[in-house]
Amino acid sequence: MSNLVDQITAGLKTWARVNSPWVIHFNSGSCNGCDIEILATLTPRYDLERFGVKLQGSPRHADVLVCTGPVTRQARERLIRIYEQMPEPKFVVAVGSCAVSGGVFEGCYNVMGGIDRVIPVHAFIPGCPPRPEAIIDGVVKLLSSLQSPAPVQPIMGPDGGKA
Amino acid sequence: MTSIIELLLFPSGLFVLALGLAYEWVDRKLLAQMQNRIGPRWFQPFADLIKLLAKEEIVPEGVNRVLFLGLPVVALAGALTAALYVPLLGLAPAYSFPGDLIVTVYLLSLLTLCMGLAGANTLDRFSLIGATRTLTQLFSYEAPFMLALLAPALVAGTWQISGIVAHADGQWMLLTQPLGFIVAIIGLMGKLEMPPFDAPEAETEIVAGALTEYSGRGYALFRLGKNVELVVGLTLVAAFYLGGVLNPIDFVLKTGGLLLVMVGVHAVMTRMRIEQTVGLWWRYGALLVLVQILIQLVWKVAAA
Repeated sequence: MSNLVDQITAGLKTWARVNSPWVIHFNSGSCNGCDIEILATLTPRYDLERFGVKLQGSPRHADVLVCTGPVTRQARERLIRIYEQMPEPKFVVAVGSCAVSGGVFEGCYNVMGGIDRVIPVHAFIPGCPPRPEAIIDGVVKLLSSLQSPAPVQPIMGPDGGKA
Repeated sequence: MTSIIELLLFPSGLFVLALGLAYEWVDRKLLAQMQNRIGPRWFQPFADLIKLLAKEEIVPEGVNRVLFLGLPVVALAGALTAALYVPLLGLAPAYSFPGDLIVTVYLLSLLTLCMGLAGANTLDRFSLIGATRTLTQLFSYEAPFMLALLAPALVAGTWQISGIVAHADGQWMLLTQPLGFIVAIIGLMGKLEMPPFDAPEAETEIVAGALTEYSGRGYALFRLGKNVELVVGLTLVAAFYLGGVLNPIDFVLKTGGLLLVMVGVHAVMTRMRIEQTVGLWWRYGALLVLVQILIQLVWKVAAA
């Protein structure tokens, strides 16, 4: 009996999480190309409120952290702080080539590399910049994996954020 | 037994919570339609609520823990109690006594007061600015809004909500008291912090205002309280100015019409700065409604 109740509440929670992802957008050193695409994704043309996506100002209210750009050494502390201010459960999406791997900035003296060098990342969306359709596709894949038996696990970079 | 049902199921409790979620959806959907979008699905406010309730609740450093966790509960309780005294769905209020209009309006203000306290309780600078603006706005719209609701009470000669509704039955005070109606509907928008009066939670300036530090359960309860306040406020204004609410269909049509007007204003106006809001209320709002009440009193004396 209690098993059944647990199952139903867990199903309800997952359903609510999948249907109400509130996002916060953070630029950790991007050239603004990806940011413009993210803002285009949130405009009435694509109308993400259809799927319950809302842009939130406060990390305390957000579920999904959408990051763009390579992590510069200056932005590293801020990125970690914003990530830690978000309440569990939280998801991180890296948008654009630079956020995925460091892109053209890989190896620069002032750049840590991709987002996964600093915080665990759930979904990578490549592209320079990715189209709004690609961003929506990435977020939908991440959220639909929550309902599958094996949800996406976050990935940390090779040096585990100590770089 | 009946009082327990009245408190927990109908008309307060679960029923008014469900009604609040439904009205939030109507609000968001109408706004989306006016902005040429499709808008959220019908269960969206419910999904948001469940998700927030299932999230971790972070209590930040440097706050009074009891206040931080207790204020959302008090805010929601105040709004739910106010729902007991208004004619929801056009039915008679669950409780009624002479002077319950004053009690209802101040129970609604309890929510805003709790939000101000919640913001002032944290160390976060955005919360503090938001709390200051919330309370400044409270003190600017409160008196004109209260006076706008008192004008129908003067006509009816009673401060009991059911008495005013019975007097307003079929008599559209919107036509006889247009100034009071304008102040009441704009006051309701100020109370709900709808644009153009959303300076207290201006997301482009101060993140999320007084509720910046709230996550999970606390934020969900404040949002619910605001939804209940929307329903109660719409019911009050519709019952007083739009000829009373007679039956459920009448109720839905009149409150829905009011909501349409409010969303229309929301869609075409930009945010006002906080000192513009205060100026609007004290220079024009209070003046308009005082003129209205003066006309009312002179008319009453002349007719007697």
